[in-house]
Amino acid sequence: MNQVFDFKRFTLLVAKHWNENRKKYLLGLVAMAGLLFFWYGFMLIVDGGQRIFENMQVMTYFFGLALTGCFYGSILFAELSSGPKAMNYLIFPASHLEKLVCGLLYGVVLFFIAYTLVFYIVDIPMVMLGNSLHKSNYPGEVVSKPAEIVNIFWKPLTEGRPGPNPNPHVLFILMYFAVQSAYILGSVYFPKFSFIKTTISLLLVALLLSLYMGKILQPMLPDGGHYQSFTSFRVFENNDFNHQKIVSLPEWTTDTIAFLLKFAFAPIFWVVTYFRFKEKEV
Amino acid sequence: MISVQHLHFGYRKKPVFNDLSLELQPGFIYGLLGKNGTGKSTLLRNIAGLLFPREGQIRVLGLDPGNRTPAFLQEVFMVPEEFHMPDVPLEHLEKHYAPFYPRFNREQFRKYISEFNIPIEGSLQNMSYGQKKKVLISLGLATNTSVLLMDEPTNGLDIMSKSQFRKVMAGALNENKCVIISTHQVKDLENLIDRITIIDEGKILFDQTIDNISRKLSFQISYDAEEINAAIYHESSLRGSAIICANTEGEEGKIDLELLYKAIVTNQAKVQSVFNA
Repeated sequence: MNQVFDFKRFTLLVAKHWNENRKKYLLGLVAMAGLLFFWYGFMLIVDGGQRIFENMQVMTYFFGLALTGCFYGSILFAELSSGPKAMNYLIFPASHLEKLVCGLLYGVVLFFIAYTLVFYIVDIPMVMLGNSLHKSNYPGEVVSKPAEIVNIFWKPLTEGRPGPNPNPHVLFILMYFAVQSAYILGSVYFPKFSFIKTTISLLLVALLLSLYMGKILQPMLPDGGHYQSFTSFRVFENNDFNHQKIVSLPEWTTDTIAFLLKFAFAPIFWVVTYFRFKEKEV
Repeated sequence: MISVQHLHFGYRKKPVFNDLSLELQPGFIYGLLGKNGTGKSTLLRNIAGLLFPREGQIRVLGLDPGNRTPAFLQEVFMVPEEFHMPDVPLEHLEKHYAPFYPRFNREQFRKYISEFNIPIEGSLQNMSYGQKKKVLISLGLATNTSVLLMDEPTNGLDIMSKSQFRKVMAGALNENKCVIISTHQVKDLENLIDRITIIDEGKILFDQTIDNISRKLSFQISYDAEEINAAIYHESSLRGSAIICANTEGEEGKIDLELLYKAIVTNQAKVQSVFNA
């Protein structure tokens, strides 16, 4: 049998994980649905029976996804935080990679699918309820258009016009995976208060980056600012706004940075999690 | 089977092992004794791959425990002092653990569970600490791993369960299996272990087989002041003095593990001199 990854052993591990955690997961999904119902219900009451428009649905979806997904990510390897659980987990006869992939399957893939399903299970009836309430509250308003169910995966930023980023929702989802992967790494690094400690760490990184950009990088650059992307810089010559030139790095650098931001952060964090997991002692 | 060579290990500021070497063979139950905090559990965790040596090396069946490969993990089962078990029915536990251990025996599992008076239809969610521990011991034995590590296995067991434990353990050993039991409750291991290893301050203080101890030492109750004074170790009791003296008559008697342990901890050199003679 392969000592790094064996598919049969992996499927057995997935089944074992489900057997041990299904009650917790099902209750979690019910709680998520309850919170979404509560939130939409609250909006309908506060807004006096207004429709639930697409932007509100998008906001609800992504806020809920980020909050619950990152929280779940921060407890994904919570077993490692307590001695007895960590021993039971680490000594179980499956490879580190199988354990990590099993965790990612539940915490990243299945959580995302389950959250999206729960969201639509709540969203569809609540949007319809909002529409019918609006219709009954404003019977004479003939021009009002009912709110539509939002498509989370396909919504152009500028409808009808091609923009620099034609599908921002997918970008949000990719960003979510990147941030969630940082919380997953945090769940292995910080045995206790992982969510809070990871949040503080991410804020510190953001703060250090801002300081570096503002206090170190900015004074070294000529007058001007970034233009459209990180790799283009607009320079004002002699402080004259009418005389400016744009300095751009080759296009491949923009593409590489964009690729890293969109697709590479999550896998990089997962790989770091793997190595951290391998060297875990208890 | 288990080879510990020049093991150095310590927690941040506290060194635990300094050049510890040990060889453990299959077919024996080893009793690992020592005071609290002397490194018994730490040694077991090093052998299980839960802690990594700072220096030196450990090999279990030729494998490095620190890699925690499935090939290693399916040959080692550990019953920790503080343990966690999922809140699932026993039948589910059996179903989901069995495929990971190539020699898992369902009949054995059910037999041990039944000997511990636990209904197989039960769920771990509704069980007490002691019952859960008995399930874990049964599971550990039924996996039939080559190495079984037990850290204070009798802690939390009632008097009846302790004798059940001894009975179950006595029937579970075979020539391919190496069992290491770490405990400070030496009475619980009487008539069970084949070899005693006592650790103190990160070093092996005493390491002898039970047969050898029986041949070399004699454990008696004495009222004779001269005999008491000449003994390797003596301890007053209500029924005279319990003494350990050199076995000169060659008759192998019963070993009082607790007395032996005290003798070694208080005067190791004197006890050891009998074995070196």
